[in-house]
Amino acid sequence: MKFSLRSGGLAAALVGALALSLAGCGSATTQNQGSVSLQETGSTLLYPLFQIWAPAYTKDHSDIKITPQGTGSGTGIADAVNGTVQIGASDAYMANAQMSADPGMLNIPLAISAQQIMYNIPGLNHQHLHLSGQVLARIYTGKITMWNDAAIKALNPGVALPALRIVPIHRADGSGDTFLFSQYLSFSNPTTWGSASGPQYATSISWPPVPASLSATGNGGMVEALQQNKGGIAYVGISYLSQAVNDGLGYAAIENKAGQFVLPTAQTISTEAQSLVGQTPKDERVSLIYGPAQGAYPIINYEYAIVNAKQSSSTTAKAVRQFLTWALTTGNQPSYLEQVHFLPLPPAIVKLSEAQIAKVQ
Amino acid sequence: MNVTWRRLKDRIMLGLAALMGIIILVPVLGMIWLVVSHALPALSLGLFTQVTVGAGGGLANAIVGTFYVVGLGILIAGPLGIMAGVYVGEVDPGGSFAQVVRFTTDVMAGVPSIVIGYFGYVTLVLGLGWGFSTLAGAIALSLIGIPYVVRSTETALSKVPRGMREASLALGASQSTTIWRVTLREALPGVVTGVLLALSIAIGETAPLLYTAGWSNYMPSLQLTHAPVGYLTYVVWTYINEPFASANALAYAAGLLLLVLIVIVNVVARRLVSRSRLGR
Amino acid sequence: MATPGKVRALDRIMRVATGIVAGGSLVAMAAILVFLLRDSWPSILYNGGHFLTSITWNIGNLYSGAVSRHNGVMAPHGAAYGILPFILGTLLSSLIAVVLAVPLAVGIGLLLVEYLPRRVGDSLSFAVEMLAGIPSVVIGLWGIAVLIPWIGRGLGPWLQAVFGFIPFLRGPIGSGQGLLASGLVLAVMITPIIAATTRDVLRQTPRETKDGALGLGLTRWEMIRAVSLPWSASGIFGAVILGLGRALGETMAVLMVSGSAVNYLPQNIFSPIGTMAATIVSQLDSAMTDPTGMAVHALAEIALVLFVMSIVVNVPARLLLSAAARRGGEAQ
Repeated sequence: MKFSLRSGGLAAALVGALALSLAGCGSATTQNQGSVSLQETGSTLLYPLFQIWAPAYTKDHSDIKITPQGTGSGTGIADAVNGTVQIGASDAYMANAQMSADPGMLNIPLAISAQQIMYNIPGLNHQHLHLSGQVLARIYTGKITMWNDAAIKALNPGVALPALRIVPIHRADGSGDTFLFSQYLSFSNPTTWGSASGPQYATSISWPPVPASLSATGNGGMVEALQQNKGGIAYVGISYLSQAVNDGLGYAAIENKAGQFVLPTAQTISTEAQSLVGQTPKDERVSLIYGPAQGAYPIINYEYAIVNAKQSSSTTAKAVRQFLTWALTTGNQPSYLEQVHFLPLPPAIVKLSEAQIAKVQ
Repeated sequence: MNVTWRRLKDRIMLGLAALMGIIILVPVLGMIWLVVSHALPALSLGLFTQVTVGAGGGLANAIVGTFYVVGLGILIAGPLGIMAGVYVGEVDPGGSFAQVVRFTTDVMAGVPSIVIGYFGYVTLVLGLGWGFSTLAGAIALSLIGIPYVVRSTETALSKVPRGMREASLALGASQSTTIWRVTLREALPGVVTGVLLALSIAIGETAPLLYTAGWSNYMPSLQLTHAPVGYLTYVVWTYINEPFASANALAYAAGLLLLVLIVIVNVVARRLVSRSRLGR
Repeated sequence: MATPGKVRALDRIMRVATGIVAGGSLVAMAAILVFLLRDSWPSILYNGGHFLTSITWNIGNLYSGAVSRHNGVMAPHGAAYGILPFILGTLLSSLIAVVLAVPLAVGIGLLLVEYLPRRVGDSLSFAVEMLAGIPSVVIGLWGIAVLIPWIGRGLGPWLQAVFGFIPFLRGPIGSGQGLLASGLVLAVMITPIIAATTRDVLRQTPRETKDGALGLGLTRWEMIRAVSLPWSASGIFGAVILGLGRALGETMAVLMVSGSAVNYLPQNIFSPIGTMAATIVSQLDSAMTDPTGMAVHALAEIALVLFVMSIVVNVPARLLLSAAARRGGEAQ
């Protein structure tokens, strides 16, 4: 008895000493006196970019620590509002109701991102099917159930569509990607999906019950679900495009407002972004979905940093301002953005964002 | 004939039982193989010395963070659970208060960890203003672990032969001395097994820590509040969905480290139990 | 000097101190219960009984700005909360888990105690205990990588081929994510608890009674059935209740393999489902975007229902167990 007690106690003490010494030496080397710690949480679409930005920024600015987390746009907004983090990342701007509940919040675009519709149809994944907002809405309401449905055939003459059941996949967690996709469906189907009785748009909507449908968590979960489900269709953020294509999944050419079927390329995305610069208000809360321009990709968005204008201290505010300004300038360079397929903000928008950043005190 | 049929049935039952044993080995071995094979790309010495950087790096911050949060949680749960277990098992085992406590402990063991996590988020992180912090995480883990320590302590104490207590009291020892010096000592292996059980559960928890400890890319300082901390289960849960292969490998590496930790805890627990049996 | 007075005082302090700590657990549970009640009260007012019977989970339209009132509580226009699919998903997956885990665990327990020699038994014991400690996220990883493809391509088609006459097994198999996967994952998670307890309890069966039965000419299996199992029944039952409690509240692993279905009921055993605990995790961050807070209150109500379910499972079990213990004591 004593033997086991002693050896057990010795083991515990050794482990404890080891842990403390590791912690101690860690804190000695990485913690400087007076360092500011910034926390970011939110969109899983913006998370990969923040993971590239954070180490690059802290390398040159060792007095600031940045910790990003990928939890979902909903958490990003909520945590920024209640002050748990300094920067909330969201693909969706805050709603009017949320803004009136929390008037001091700023929605600051940092980059331009896009979303593609991906599918897993054996034999057709290397092709870009043509899909329209109407067809997509009918798929997600369960009215179109097979890939060789007449409506899909009509958009894709000459393509040998298989008699494969469609598995609509949507996000389970509160997601900016859901916001973008549902907004696209709302704008392209104003009398059905977008009407007051339809699901409309939000970071989290009530998906119509389709018996074959699945939910997935995070963009990564969407890609995974697609890989496992033949016949699956899902909306995925553009940072995940290369990996998904490498895994053999296909993506669609989506119909824009001008009736063209466009792929998400740097060209088509920036066309859409440019055409909507004029419509962006000072608080930068605007949808970039389904713009009227020719050759524009219809599902793009500003990636927002949700920040409280009132920070806990002026040092924190200064750190936040410095980091966000860096993100808008150095961080917007192709060397960073290209890794995640984002596009830089148009210069006029950069000015608007900088004006908002100045408000952070 | 009857005897042959009965013997046959006996053989069949043995076969079925053996089948069960084989069936349960499939997931265990499958999990180990899956985690090891996918963690290989990330295995290197840097795993233990580097912190998570961007989508890659090492796991030093998560490893130390796990030790930190879990260690603190068990430091809280252990003594408190043992004291409560002593009360329920020794001080007043038949009393109605003890029965209520027993019932409460069983119900607490069944509360989903996400409920505890959310409770911790609203009361500690937001309510007390601690923000994502080690202490909030440790308290959440202790709430989850205490029922197991209480239950194991009570069971271990109940197995101690009555004669020992009576002998001690007859020799003039007080109730305190009897309980803490005699009975508890005798029951110690069972008690420690309970603490180790709580420890292994705490090591593997994810949901409550997501909402109380947050996450940090940096080595933990000794600051208990207002500073988030990293832990291995976060890496498994989040990095597996990243579009970067280095992140996925890191997730599996974290899973492997978790398995190793669990094995160590299990081995220690077994040694204690076997030693106690030999000692008798 | 340990005077009688000092000793008595020390004893009293010790009793009071341990009593306070024991009472602390009551305080903690009361705090959680009060917290859940307070947080879910607006949802209880707004949704009423529909919460338990409706299939639709709708957070409402946050971007339209319109707000509806009911029973004096605000919520975004169109919000309607019903958790029937999650209740069913939780109950069905736990049921499958228990149905599979009990024979598996009892079989393992018997194997370890009655059939296997000590050394081999120890290795199997170790493997089972390891399984008990594996974090649920790792089990979820295995579920996604190994279990789901196996259900989709192997087990599913086989079940339909052999048992296809049962309506609940017919219909599309999908990828394998769904009710069966959740049930299997839960079975894997609760088997170790039941097996370890079964093993411990079986070991305590009085040797004389067992030897007596064998001496009378019973085969090993007949002895088990006549002596060991009845003796251990209440202990095994207690472990099953423990396992059931764990299955009801399990979050992460189920979240990864269940398919997270919303707004429809499972059609067959392969249908994607949602469980109450997994839904809380997956819906929590979108609920936090609701400025009226109703979505979070609805999630708190789910937690409350789960809490109540846990009590409903525990109370009769404890009563049965204490009755059995009393009967067993009298019989001796």
